[in-house]
Amino acid sequence: MNILLCCAAGMSTSLLVAKMETAAKAEGIEARIWAVSANEVNNHLDEADVLLVGPQVRYLLPQLKKKGQEKGIPVDAINPVHYGMCNGAEVLKFARNLIGS
Amino acid sequence: MAKFTQILEEKFMPIAGKVAGQKHLQALRDGIILTMPLIIIGSIFLIIGFLPFKGYPEFMAGLFGDAWLTKLLYPVTATFDIMALIAGFGIAYRLAEHYKVDALNAGAISVASFILATPYFTMFTPEGASEAIQVGGVLPIALLGSKGLFVAMILAMFSTELYRFIIQKNFVIKMPDGVPPSVSKSFVALFPAFIVILVVWLIRLLIENTSFETLHNVVGQLLQEPLGALGGSLIGALIAVFFVQLLWSTGLHGASIVGGVMGPIWLAATDANRVALTAGDELPNVVTQQFFDIFIYMGGSGATFTFALMMLFMARSQHSKTLGRLAIGPGIFNINEPITFGAPIVANPLLIVPFILAPLVLTITTYIGMSTGFAPKTAGVAVPWTTPPIIGGYLATGGNIRGALMQLINLAVSFAIYYPFFRMWDKQNYQVEQGVNK
Repeated sequence: MNILLCCAAGMSTSLLVAKMETAAKAEGIEARIWAVSANEVNNHLDEADVLLVGPQVRYLLPQLKKKGQEKGIPVDAINPVHYGMCNGAEVLKFARNLIGS
Repeated sequence: MAKFTQILEEKFMPIAGKVAGQKHLQALRDGIILTMPLIIIGSIFLIIGFLPFKGYPEFMAGLFGDAWLTKLLYPVTATFDIMALIAGFGIAYRLAEHYKVDALNAGAISVASFILATPYFTMFTPEGASEAIQVGGVLPIALLGSKGLFVAMILAMFSTELYRFIIQKNFVIKMPDGVPPSVSKSFVALFPAFIVILVVWLIRLLIENTSFETLHNVVGQLLQEPLGALGGSLIGALIAVFFVQLLWSTGLHGASIVGGVMGPIWLAATDANRVALTAGDELPNVVTQQFFDIFIYMGGSGATFTFALMMLFMARSQHSKTLGRLAIGPGIFNINEPITFGAPIVANPLLIVPFILAPLVLTITTYIGMSTGFAPKTAGVAVPWTTPPIIGGYLATGGNIRGALMQLINLAVSFAIYYPFFRMWDKQNYQVEQGVNK
């Protein structure tokens, strides 16, 4: 499972990546999770099964959803509260549901 | 107050989203980012060249010879002084990506257009002469740096728009079947590029017949200087900070959105200080990129560093304590999404007040501190925005301890502003937790 996250600079989202990796390990899920800045998304979309967008750049959502549609992968914004509290388990669940749907 | 946040969410956010998602502004922001790693690297050499220790220049001259500074600053020229070239390439590249036309070609054409709009001579006054003479065979390096930034931005957009327009209208040379695809691709780029060069050339010829003489003078006098004066004023800085905070209050990345518009102005201001520093002149600008990144937004947008400390050390509620532990690590590097979304500050009328107020007050204190000479101005050193407080203030002012002192004062001010709101908020959390536990 390849989960791509993006925000403005890819920095605050990288915090969440670490927590999601821990959660994945605890649940025994094989996952590659990584964060990039919004302007790099193009170069990473091919490798991703799902794209999660930081709530602070949700204004990019329409544009990124379009890109996701072209590649056939789901794109959605991360719940702000889960994002703020770095709730890796919840965001991981969200990503898995998106891929599953 | 609840209505206020609702208005923000419903009216303000869609507009902000449109501005931030606008493709030219996005290309501008993403393209200029290309210059950042370079000027941060250049800054390292700049700091070493101008450490404000007594006897330092003499010491270095003794060690490396009289020309030590000139040689040390070679990389500064190769990074700072070509920022317009690099930005021009980057902006065109990103814009072309949006239009799904060949981005590399668009970048190259943009650079060619920029050079085409730049004079191929410079004015030089030889020793003993009273009048400057024109020296040919050179590109004035000042115009390739921040002074040419706006010309590069405009030409990057103009050339790429024209380029993609011609391609999309299908005015391209069609090669017969059997021509290898890469050969036909190189010809495809030829016709649109020719038109772009032709048009920019005609513009240059036209302007050479006016009193402006060059496009650089037109853009400098009509655009870059007025915008620089506006963005560099206290009022301009306050308005910018207010919008950044208002956007973050709705959970949108204010610094990225406002920076997309104001970034070039503050970058040019940073570089004007760098040019003055290397020339040994007085630094002209108080308001620069580092003015905001380093002196205002300590702990992240909203100057939340002290708020993180309060949560860590002074909280009663479990929520505040947990969040404090989570927020302090990133907070040291001026990242505060855990606070904005976790506290939360977003759509929280109580915390929005200090969140907007603190950075505005810090803008005023820093502006006063720097313009009265109490604190040094930023020295053109491009300190990354993730540099921790105290260290950041020291480095951004070219290694001046009073820069760090200014940050300490700002920390104290933001502490005073956040404290009463922190108490109220923490008490609310505590009461909720007690209620739940009963």
